[in-house]
Amino acid sequence: MPDIYVAPSRKKKKTIKKEFSLKTRRNKEIKKIVDELGEKRTKKLFTSFIFLPKNITFETQESEEKIILLLRKHFITNVSWILITILMIFAPLILRWIPLLEFFPWRFKFMTIIMWYLMTTAFVFEKFLSWYFNVFIITDERIVDVDFVSLAYKEITETKIDKIQDITFTMGGAVRSLFNYGDVFVQTAGQIPRVEFEDVAKPDKVAKILNQLILQEEQEKIEKRVR
Amino acid sequence: MINFIENFLGFSVWGIVKLFFMLAIVLYIIFAVVIVRQVKLMGQTISDKNNYLISLIAWLHLAIALFVFLLAWIIL
Repeated sequence: MPDIYVAPSRKKKKTIKKEFSLKTRRNKEIKKIVDELGEKRTKKLFTSFIFLPKNITFETQESEEKIILLLRKHFITNVSWILITILMIFAPLILRWIPLLEFFPWRFKFMTIIMWYLMTTAFVFEKFLSWYFNVFIITDERIVDVDFVSLAYKEITETKIDKIQDITFTMGGAVRSLFNYGDVFVQTAGQIPRVEFEDVAKPDKVAKILNQLILQEEQEKIEKRVR
Repeated sequence: MINFIENFLGFSVWGIVKLFFMLAIVLYIIFAVVIVRQVKLMGQTISDKNNYLISLIAWLHLAIALFVFLLAWIIL
């Protein structure tokens, strides 16, 4: 016979309550890390070091997972292609002194220049996309390295925070010291033995944040509240 | 010189040059379409509130490529 009345289970309520308390506790811990680092939330549009990014999510992000840090290569690494672009913009001026296209009718000369600038645009756009979408993400659970090797190939490397064994950062050279950027190497116990964050801004802070997250993860393990 | 070649071979040299130009622009349009598609995929991988701006630039880039194709077709 079907049940006419089924009393709501208290167990379910309890688990919801427990999950909620875990969430608030976790948020408190993240807040603690933020306070300790003394770093403010980044609000700039196109930047290479975004602390606690708002409105940014990634493909494999879980509902409760929070992005702590989103890193791109330091903006100064773009200088080489920006300089090439400037040269490309002014390159057609050479035609004034070296008449390479003199035998061309004016309409062909005009189209050649237009196509040159189209190619310049493609070059700039391609380089910018490569800088903008090749990111390193540090969440409260894992680190993710998103690489778009070419227009048709993407590679995503992920490692759980609790698998991290060792963190090293390097910042050699005059330019790197001047603009405060370098490489962060993360040694892991997982299948991918080493995750590299290349040319990231403030590598010391990145290493510090990772260390804090490892400590937090260890604490969670001790208290048996691993998700 | 070009007139001589045209008279000798019996076809327009600039017609062939135009063909090469058009072919190059068609290849460029294909590249622009790939970029639009790629920006969409990249945006799905990392979704950001600024993605619409990049997507807009990609579409604008494709529109310019199509405009250049039309321009080449008319003036060459």
